[in-house]
Amino acid sequence: MHLNHLLSMILFAALVSLALACVARRTIAERAKYALWLLALFVAVGVGIAWLMYPFSR
Amino acid sequence: MTGQISETGLKTKFNATLPFPVAIAAWIVPGLGHALLRCWPKALVFFLAAAGLAIAGCELRGEVFSWHSGGAFGSLGFIADAGSGICYFAARILEAGGPDISRAAGDYGTRFIAAAGIVNLLGVLDAYGMASGRRN
Repeated sequence: MHLNHLLSMILFAALVSLALACVARRTIAERAKYALWLLALFVAVGVGIAWLMYPFSR
Repeated sequence: MTGQISETGLKTKFNATLPFPVAIAAWIVPGLGHALLRCWPKALVFFLAAAGLAIAGCELRGEVFSWHSGGAFGSLGFIADAGSGICYFAARILEAGGPDISRAAGDYGTRFIAAAGIVNLLGVLDAYGMASGRRN
């Protein structure tokens, strides 16, 4: 199994989002919606921070 | 006690004795606490999340901190890692090749393994709350 940085981040975000959604919401529909929302936020903020750091990478 | 114990009364008495064993079971095997409470979806999610993070962390050759890790960072790392219970010991065995934190992926792996422990500790608290009747 080869995990590049983006895949690693998405896997991390997906697993943590699932666990947090299970704790924070009660019904399955609410949990699924919240997990997707958290996943999108994790990935968007991660990619956003990566672009912000890009000018300093060289 | 009047001799007539209602179903609710029995449940309260039963739950009052369970939280600590449930919390310990939840710590040792991720999801086991919820499985004992017959909350299968949560049990599955916490097991998948903790085990998945720990396995991915080992695959990325992250560092698994031991009890003897020096410094505050090492001690905090050990507490976070040990939170995943059996996954911690599995990670210790799986990382027989040793960590490789010379690459960014190895550093990611270290965070994955720590996150597995933190996620499981969250599960422990949730299972404890459910067993004591404070959470649904």
